[in-house]
Amino acid sequence: MSEYILEMEHISKSFSRVKVLDDVSLKVRAGEVHAIVGENGAGKSTLMKILTGVYSPDGGEIRLHGKKVEIHNPRMALAHGIAMIYQELNPVLDQDVAENIFLGRELIRYHFGPLSIVDKQAQHQHTQELFARMGVDIPSKALMRQLSVAQKQLVEIVKAISLSCSVVVMDEPTSALTEKEVATLFEQIEKLRSQGVAIIYISHRLEEVFKIADTITVLRDGRLIGTDSVSNFDHDKLIRMMVGRNIEEFYPKQNVPIGEVVLEVRNLSLGKRFRNISFQLHAGEILGIAGLVGAGRSELAECIFGLSRPTTGEVYIRGKRVDFHHPQDSVRHRVAMITEDRKLTGLNLKASVEHNITLVALSRLSRLGIIDSDKEAQVTDTYIKELSIRTFSRKTLVANLSGGNQQKVVLAKWLLTEPDIIIMDEPTRGIDVGAKRDIYLLMGSLAAAGKAILMVSSELPEIMGLADRVIVLAAGNMTGELARHEFSQEAIMRYASEFRQNG
Amino acid sequence: MKRYWMVVISALLVLALLAGCTPAGGTAKEAKYGLFMSHMTNAFTIELSDAVKSKAQELGVNLAVYDGGQDAAKQVSQVETAVNEGIAAIVIEPVSVDGIIPAIETAKKAKIPVVTVNQNISKPELVDCFVGVSHVEGGSVEMKAAMEMIGGKGKIAILLGPMGSDAQLGRSEGYKQVLASYPDVEVVFEQTANWKTDEALKLVENWLQTGTDLVAIVAQNDGMALGALKAVEDAKLGDKIKVFGLDATPDALAAVKEGRLAATVSQSTTEQGLKAMEAAVKLVKGEQVEKQIIVGHTLITKDNVDQFIK
Amino acid sequence: MDKAGFLKQRNRLDFASLREWGILIVFVLIVGILMLLSPSSFARPTNLINIVKQASINGILATGMTFVIISGGIDLSVGSIVALSGVIAASFAHPGEYPLIVPIVLSTLVGGVAGFLNGIGVAYGNIPPFIVTLGSMTMIRGMALIVARGSPVFNVTKAFENIAGGFLFDTIPYLVIYFVVTAAIGAFVLTRTVFGRRVYSVGGNEMAAKVSGIQVDRIKVAVYSISGFLAGVAGLLLASRIVSGNPTSGVSYELDAIAAVVIGGISLSGGSGKWYGAVIGALLIAVIGNGLDILNVSAHFQLLIKGAIIITAVLLDVKSKGNRT
Repeated sequence: MSEYILEMEHISKSFSRVKVLDDVSLKVRAGEVHAIVGENGAGKSTLMKILTGVYSPDGGEIRLHGKKVEIHNPRMALAHGIAMIYQELNPVLDQDVAENIFLGRELIRYHFGPLSIVDKQAQHQHTQELFARMGVDIPSKALMRQLSVAQKQLVEIVKAISLSCSVVVMDEPTSALTEKEVATLFEQIEKLRSQGVAIIYISHRLEEVFKIADTITVLRDGRLIGTDSVSNFDHDKLIRMMVGRNIEEFYPKQNVPIGEVVLEVRNLSLGKRFRNISFQLHAGEILGIAGLVGAGRSELAECIFGLSRPTTGEVYIRGKRVDFHHPQDSVRHRVAMITEDRKLTGLNLKASVEHNITLVALSRLSRLGIIDSDKEAQVTDTYIKELSIRTFSRKTLVANLSGGNQQKVVLAKWLLTEPDIIIMDEPTRGIDVGAKRDIYLLMGSLAAAGKAILMVSSELPEIMGLADRVIVLAAGNMTGELARHEFSQEAIMRYASEFRQNG
Repeated sequence: MKRYWMVVISALLVLALLAGCTPAGGTAKEAKYGLFMSHMTNAFTIELSDAVKSKAQELGVNLAVYDGGQDAAKQVSQVETAVNEGIAAIVIEPVSVDGIIPAIETAKKAKIPVVTVNQNISKPELVDCFVGVSHVEGGSVEMKAAMEMIGGKGKIAILLGPMGSDAQLGRSEGYKQVLASYPDVEVVFEQTANWKTDEALKLVENWLQTGTDLVAIVAQNDGMALGALKAVEDAKLGDKIKVFGLDATPDALAAVKEGRLAATVSQSTTEQGLKAMEAAVKLVKGEQVEKQIIVGHTLITKDNVDQFIK
Repeated sequence: MDKAGFLKQRNRLDFASLREWGILIVFVLIVGILMLLSPSSFARPTNLINIVKQASINGILATGMTFVIISGGIDLSVGSIVALSGVIAASFAHPGEYPLIVPIVLSTLVGGVAGFLNGIGVAYGNIPPFIVTLGSMTMIRGMALIVARGSPVFNVTKAFENIAGGFLFDTIPYLVIYFVVTAAIGAFVLTRTVFGRRVYSVGGNEMAAKVSGIQVDRIKVAVYSISGFLAGVAGLLLASRIVSGNPTSGVSYELDAIAAVVIGGISLSGGSGKWYGAVIGALLIAVIGNGLDILNVSAHFQLLIKGAIIITAVLLDVKSKGNRT
């Protein structure tokens, strides 16, 4: 019996002639959290897809409990006790939570072959038990469609855990979760670890990796750079190994003089979503909005942008009252919005990079409604270059880009409108380290150019690293405001947990 | 096809709503006659119902007209309702030869006389009187005229109604009987255009592209004949190819008068309607009526067209 | 960009282009077979003009349908609009009554208004397009029957007949010219104008389009109005072509138009498709019909073959989409 529960030895994989994985080995012990880190394209996802049978390797072998296994599809992987929580979630949106948990392995009340009757009641009961055990507060009868991104992810995690597997792969499980939910997840990971389950943990959040992992494996360009116990790494060393060079400062905060007030929100309320929110945003300022999922941060951002109408309260731009009925009004007032979910509301995945970038500012690239194609191409190429968007050409479908590059396309689309106020809802969700840094740098230079930035983020280090000021929301109320010199994780979390305050 | 019926039915519903009408007649205590039409969406059905109505007026009887909207189920329930209300006699142009038999059986149980018009049902023994035409005869009248006008030889094309419909089968049979005695005539094209002008137009345009020396195109209704005529005239072959129709619709009659359409055939629609109403009234009075009244077809050419144009 | 992604992208491009070429290959193949089977009739120049002529009315409808389908909708009412506009056109085209412009303006206007109302229902009534246009299909058919009092409207002027029936230089039917002009304008609007781009973006991702400041509702009203207007034009042309307005004409024309669009590779889920798709689709349908008529193949087999080609086209559509996720 091997000391490792899972061994992947000398795995290689090429697509046509391009090597995506080159002699990569991974050994995971029972009861350990094994983190795999690396930039996008390093081969992490491919390696995991080989493990779960989505791809078959060109070379190398996989051993489970010391025995060689062949895994040809995810179903077989599951049968071997390997479960995967995907980065891109694929829940069935029109089913309820319990049905998703039991998708493909429904509890059957009466067996009639294909006409078997599903025991919905039992499924709900089991789901509620699972949730109760995990401290997750989601009704088992809610439709997946009604859940937030974070809630969907929690359901997926609960689902994987409920399969009682010996190896659980988590690909960016926390990218959509709040600190509190992350804490819950980590508790679950602890429990699994103590039960001898091996957890393969892929994350861009190095803070988390240091907190939870026992062992770290670093991949770069499809090659194994190193595997070691977490105690032999520090933050800088890890980043150096991942990118192959030094990243001096991960959050490049520039000191920009703060200008006049450009946006003012007074007593803004939207039903039960948020109440009596007031703040001012200045030119050259990055204002962070922190809070837990469901605190009303995204709703507030969307309301300011005109995607929903406030029930009471006012919004002022440069001292003038505005009343946005439609995003078209906001665009006219030079307000930009990078939404939370770029695939759902940010991009037209069926269109090219070019058509996405120029969509909002199209009237500026046209005369009498006819598009000036040369100008459009030229502008697009400029932005592709300036934001270093990695794409084959401007005609490439945006769906074929990586998450980071897609996000840059969304940014380019809005920068083209030359906005004064930029609202960013989770601007770096689910994108790789390199692209993240590009976006941070861009935010800095935008602020330096006198733009006002309103940033909603669930990643506290990101907010603390970039914002000049933070306002904290809890259950729809604004519970606190902190200047940069007052920032601390504890202070923000304290305000974010103030549920019962009147306001 | 089902959708088509749906369209027509719904259209009729709209019609009925807009006109704000319940079937003409009312709830008077006196003897009431019912006319049940399969639908009211072409010249033929409108002429037929007008004829029945005028005869009813002439004889001084009360008549209610029901529009079946090409829906057998609807016609059945219309008949059943009328039977419950104690209708005196039924004149019916059936939607379906089989589908409406239950309704006719109900009427028979209530001892109400039934006259079918234009189209009989598949159980003729249930019916007191059938007034109509023989499609076989109609086809043979048309084809005979065509043979005479082309001198009994040459290549011809035939445009059929919807395959399997009574009229298509009957008229084709009539064609066959006539053609049997003309060995020098070759039928080079024979295709359905589903009674439709535009389909016939397209079809004949394509046939003419083959360069075949057609001398005649014989169509089973006037709508298709007019489509064929348009294609022939567009190809400037009007003096070479003679086009024949059937139904004597107003526009076909006009074309005959102008000398463009060689001939059409009247189904004597008005006569059918008049005879049917007359038979119904006689049956109610207890008089003897022939079990089958076949109205003859009439050939209409340039020579006699004026007496048909109203 | 990571190499795997790059590679996948290349494959996708290949497949996408294969799909585009696919329909052209099918087209060339069918034309080739027909030329072999009927060299004397099919391949003659006059027949080729005849084919384009026969594709014209469907092609004009399909051009309007292209806008609707790219915007993510569907328009089932065009066949009924053809009937209504045809009946109205013929009713105002009797000799010695009104100048020619009256039937032309009224019939196209009626089509445009019907389309506009469809658009209002879809955009502001928030009713699925399938339901809205299914309802209006039925209602408009009813109106056509009411206006025509149930039977065809005939007796129109020579000038009216000439709208569709005339020829340019005695060789090119006017119908062909209307088709070419409509397709060219449609192509220009789709590919070169801000409006066209917005139609794609609404079909591609309605939410993202709205966030991007696009008045999605207005775009929807506009595409249904275009489709209705072109159906009005088609109705006028059909009435002129068959020299009468028939309230029962145009049945299932909407399906032919949708078939042309789908055969042309325009995705029914919206957001993608090339401007020439509908042109190729309409031409292919006309080629098949013409070839089979010339070969004297029964109409029943023609339906079978037409259906098989539609399914093949949709199959390619679905395959390409499965590849994208």
